[in-house]
Amino acid sequence: MRLIKSGCCGLSRFVILLGCCLFPLIWPAPGAAAGQEIVIGEINPLSGHLAKHGAEIHEGVLYAVEEANSRGGLGGYPLRLISRDDQSKPEVAINQAQNLIHREKVVGLLGGYVDSLVGPISELAAKYRVPYVASASLQRSLTARKNPYFFRVSRLDGLVRPLCQFTAQAMKAKRVAILHTATPGSAEFAASVKSCLEKAGVDVPLLEKFRPGCPDFSVFLLKVRQAKVDVLISGGFYADNLILVRQMQEGPLGLRAFVAPWGVAYQSFVAEMGRGAEGLFGTCAWNPGITLPGTERVSQTFVEGFRQRFGQPPNTTTMHGYTSARALLAAIDAVLTTGVKPTGEAISQALRQLDLSLPMERLKFDEYGDPRFYQQVVVQIQGRQMVPVYPLERATGQVDESLARR
Amino acid sequence: MWVWVQILISSLSLGSFYALVALGFSLILGITQAFNLAHGDLIILSGYLAFALWKFYQVPFFWTLPLCLLAMPLVLLPLQMLLRQVKEPYGLNTLVVTFGIALLLQNAMLVVFSADYRLIRPDLPHYTFPELPLTFTLNQATLLVLSLAATGLVHLVLRRTFLGKALRATIEDREAAQLAGINVKQMGLVAFGLGGLLIGLAGPLYGQNMYLYPAAGTEATLIAIVITIFAGLGRSRGILLGGWLLGLAESVAALTLGIRWRELVSAAVLLILLYFKPEGISSAREG
Repeated sequence: MRLIKSGCCGLSRFVILLGCCLFPLIWPAPGAAAGQEIVIGEINPLSGHLAKHGAEIHEGVLYAVEEANSRGGLGGYPLRLISRDDQSKPEVAINQAQNLIHREKVVGLLGGYVDSLVGPISELAAKYRVPYVASASLQRSLTARKNPYFFRVSRLDGLVRPLCQFTAQAMKAKRVAILHTATPGSAEFAASVKSCLEKAGVDVPLLEKFRPGCPDFSVFLLKVRQAKVDVLISGGFYADNLILVRQMQEGPLGLRAFVAPWGVAYQSFVAEMGRGAEGLFGTCAWNPGITLPGTERVSQTFVEGFRQRFGQPPNTTTMHGYTSARALLAAIDAVLTTGVKPTGEAISQALRQLDLSLPMERLKFDEYGDPRFYQQVVVQIQGRQMVPVYPLERATGQVDESLARR
Repeated sequence: MWVWVQILISSLSLGSFYALVALGFSLILGITQAFNLAHGDLIILSGYLAFALWKFYQVPFFWTLPLCLLAMPLVLLPLQMLLRQVKEPYGLNTLVVTFGIALLLQNAMLVVFSADYRLIRPDLPHYTFPELPLTFTLNQATLLVLSLAATGLVHLVLRRTFLGKALRATIEDREAAQLAGINVKQMGLVAFGLGGLLIGLAGPLYGQNMYLYPAAGTEATLIAIVITIFAGLGRSRGILLGGWLLGLAESVAALTLGIRWRELVSAAVLLILLYFKPEGISSAREG
């Protein structure tokens, strides 16, 4: 009798406990149940070693969503953005993506910095048919497989080509050293630049890889001096370039130019490095005052609005976030206009048909999900300002070689 | 040949930097057996303090050193009082508690200072020797001098004072020291105070030689742990020697194999050392 009684109570308690645990999973998530708003998700590194860049992308995305909401949302529906932090870790990015897809039932995903974080999310996007527009991704293999649900607003060729042409044709370099981080995008960048330069008849006697967070480049710089190269190209991130540029100031290297695609073309970098930033070359797809021809007014409006909202000017990383969000929102709007339900498939189809003129680029995706017209410009820091110097059709100033020498 | 001289100069300064980061950690661990996983984050906090003084109050960089040196023990002492409440197993529990404190500190710093990278940039001069392909910077000299001074002072305290004797006794055998009448709880207080001074010294140098961001503490803690293993617990001279050896191993690896081999070679050196001398490079093997 006692056994049955306790067994009964025990079983009931167990069932109740099990029910409580399962309840949140079976109850529909708020966004889906309400049916009165469009829910989109965003995953960025908001903590960890990539937090600076993740925060910038997040601000760009948030601004785009708030901009859309200020105009009444999309198709009369307000937008709700759910932001998640991947802590700069791929495994956390995967968990957050799954949470957004299954629990929050988002109609699209945004964000991402570095391909080690973007790649896993793109796989989930394909698996669960949720369109994902990545803000910062370069690795070719991510789009080579023609993932119908993965799109990105940047591409490697848009960076490699202008950089290679600038180095070989504008600077007329004979010998180049390349330093890059041990990340997929940076490694591919270095290999592509090397190949392009060698085809142009430029020697690359030094190509080295390092782990992000390296505290000392003095030995590498010693090798640069010994190799007697004209130009040093750094595929390191913003923080790595802080140390590299600081150590470059410690002794003559015989360089005619230092070029860093990631990190130099930021006002915050110029502010941190002070005089040490003068003459350095960087690349950017956009910056305040450096915008796609014909989008000057839109760009200025964006800069002013952003500054008012966040108390600081936007930068190229912010613009990548903004552009990716604009792409997704435009696609959702296009679907809603036709009266079709915004499913993953419909939105992806709409993304493929997009043709938007934005400050950063004319955004039109190719069959792989890459942006057709993405191109960065080479800038030189002159008088603490970023002056576009290449390609010539976008240049507003000239290369100052005396300033560039190290 | 001059390349190797330049490598030596770079290695010694890099190693001195490592030693300064590790000294406080080793002292605290040796005396109190508290595995302080928040060590690196406290260095970053000290770095942010120095950055704020340098950037917003125009305090010259070298003046931020004594200011942070005096401020950080005030942060460490409450930590010591908290860790005193931790129960057995003490080592494991302090590891968990300080891990939590590290997370708290990182997130607090993220909120207060944002995720932006900060650099303390005092624009110190550098010197190129005439007709020799060598460069020597004031920054390198500063690291060398400060590491020697800090190590020397710690060594003097430990070897030439009664307090140092009591500290060493506590490191060697806590229970025996207690039986001998040494107040080991007070020794813990002293250890955290000294550790705080060393953390205060390391912070501004970290901000000047590396860059500050809220999650940077993890890297600094790792450096401290590796150097402490190299040297052995509470061995101040061993810490400096270990730092220099590690700096040299990394620099030689970077020169001969490439910069990507730095960490691997350091890890290999550490493993070999642990195999042949698990008590550390400056300790006599027990038994």
